Amino acid sequence: MSTESDDNGLLRSVLPPERVDQLFDLCGAHGWKLILASAVVGALPPLFGLREGYMMTVISEMFLFAILALSWDIVGGQTGYPSFGNMAFFGIGAYTGAILLKDFAVSFPLAVVSAGVFATVFAAIIGLIVLRLRGHYFAIATLGVLLAAQQISRNLEITGGASGKILFDVPPGVVFYYFFLGVLVAEIIVVYYLSSTRFGFILNAIRDDEGKATAMGFNTTYYKTAAWMLAALFTGLAGGAYGLFNTFIDPQTAYNGAWNVELIAMALMGGTGTVAGPVIGAFGLHTVIEYVETAFVGWQLVMLGLAVIVTVIGFPKGVVGTLREYANEMDYYERGGMAATDAAADGSGGSDVAASTTDAADSDADTEVTRDE
Amino acid sequence: MTAATANADDAVLRTEGITKRFGGLTAVDSVDVEVHEGEIVGLIGPNGAGKSTLFNCITGTLTADEGRVTLQGQDVTDWPEYKIARAGLGRMFQETRIFGGMSVRKNLLLAAQEGGADIGGLLRRPDDSLLARTNELLEYVDLGGLAETRAGRLSFGQQKLIEFVMALMSEPELLLMDEPAGGINPSMLENLIEYIRAANDEEEATIFLIEHNMDFVMEIADRIYVLAHGERIAEGTPEEIQNDERVINAYLGRE
Ligand SMILES: Nc1ncnc2c1ncn2[C@@H]1O[C@H](COP(=O)(O)OP(=O)(O)OP(=O)(O)O)[C@@H](O)[C@H]1O
Ligand SMILES: [Mg+2]
Repeated sequence: MSTESDDNGLLRSVLPPERVDQLFDLCGAHGWKLILASAVVGALPPLFGLREGYMMTVISEMFLFAILALSWDIVGGQTGYPSFGNMAFFGIGAYTGAILLKDFAVSFPLAVVSAGVFATVFAAIIGLIVLRLRGHYFAIATLGVLLAAQQISRNLEITGGASGKILFDVPPGVVFYYFFLGVLVAEIIVVYYLSSTRFGFILNAIRDDEGKATAMGFNTTYYKTAAWMLAALFTGLAGGAYGLFNTFIDPQTAYNGAWNVELIAMALMGGTGTVAGPVIGAFGLHTVIEYVETAFVGWQLVMLGLAVIVTVIGFPKGVVGTLREYANEMDYYERGGMAATDAAADGSGGSDVAASTTDAADSDADTEVTRDE
Repeated sequence: MTAATANADDAVLRTEGITKRFGGLTAVDSVDVEVHEGEIVGLIGPNGAGKSTLFNCITGTLTADEGRVTLQGQDVTDWPEYKIARAGLGRMFQETRIFGGMSVRKNLLLAAQEGGADIGGLLRRPDDSLLARTNELLEYVDLGGLAETRAGRLSFGQQKLIEFVMALMSEPELLLMDEPAGGINPSMLENLIEYIRAANDEEEATIFLIEHNMDFVMEIADRIYVLAHGERIAEGTPEEIQNDERVINAYLGRE
């Protein structure tokens, strides 16, 4: 903290913590409106003529990655179980969608929904095994799941083996644009809502201290599995549409380990355990990736690596997480820290306050409610 | 305390022959304890005596090698830890454990048992009465200004108080406290005694606590058990314990 105050002299004068705090309060108070407004803004470009071409694809991909990063974060960030195997859900979804569309001539919506369901069921089964593990062991086990799933798809006939599947009758790009946007908005709504419920609190508690959560009466396996299935549902839905979007899938693209790393980088850079963080991270990093791939041909990975390192150094808890910490720090010193110091100096404060407890609680409850809505 | 003299029927907690071995070490050796409704019972003994391990066997964090644990007449020996907690057992850890990444308020909300595990309760947002309760408890321990602060930022003593009010929030029948006074400053200690008494009187929590601070434990406990090398070497009122020859030799030492 002391180094922060030294380093951030400039930041402090340009953007004082209380400003950031106000901004967070504002976003907190108008969260739903903000989501709605973002959804509307996201829906506009095609209505104003953006119907095909490079930009269309890039923005669609940004939505897609935001879905994947936010899904990763439900388990990796909110619950503290960093998965290197989320792309397995994506692959299962992609193959389910592709097989249903191509071999069973199922309609696009039904294929996509089935993809989500398959991925969720798969997650439930796998979760029972891997969610028993913690930390590094969990990470490695999930990577194992991804690699195994990839190999299985390579060996099976129905998946088209190593050569994969080519899909025809691809709908226009705008369909995918709105599909990915729709799934993303739905997921943001779900995650945002959950983060204010008991269920969301429990996931955070598991992240912070699973043993304590258990000692408090939570059967953590149950909540971890639910979170894992939720992540799989959205990832699977996105995967289900991806085959058509890309017109082609094979084991390498469907179970893409490099993408899995990208998802993690996106969530980390944006801020894990937040709703906005992974989305912002996905938009930001995907933009950077697109940019360096055209501007620094042959050096794109170097530039990308630099971008990641700079972000992580500048924002150790991700953009959103670090700013929130910065704002909260002010909160602590201005209100909490002072209150606590006074009490300590006073010594006998305890009983006085206890006597006036009821009044204070009433008025506080009122302010809290207004703030919460 | 009248409860201390009551018969076995009102035992909130009973352990019978609890034994826990770690390899060749018998950390807890066939220990019987009984805690009755409304009591504050102390558990003392030298470092490494097996006090925390006994707590762990009661809460289901560890599985005892031998013996039974009964909570309010129910044999919970083979229950999973979370289920024992749900049955009304609250616990504070020796090393203080709260959820550092969450706001203080969320820590408290989480601790509230109402809402439970049913889907409806899980997906509802905390209601006004619960929020009011969090404010009330935070004001009570003088940490009212810290509700929205990330719990991990608090000082050790503050975290300890938060863990305590979390326990109150869950309205436990029986609260196990592992060294509540450890690391607490002297003036705060007075408050802590008040708080624990109030939890016992007003919230009707039966309390079983481990403590090395002898002034503290002698003042607050109705009865005390003494453990040394895993064995229960004494049981009695603070008065009796202070004058017990074995306890003086094994733990208290001479003036
Ligand atoms: N998980 C474990 N594995 C191996 N040995 C353990 C384990 N937990 C405790 N022990 C050992 O069991 C004995 C009792 O430990 P315990 O923590 O119960 O002591 P305690 O009475 O709580 O001591 P203190 O007053 O220092 O907290 C110690 O010798 C300790 O090293
Ligand atoms: Mg101990």
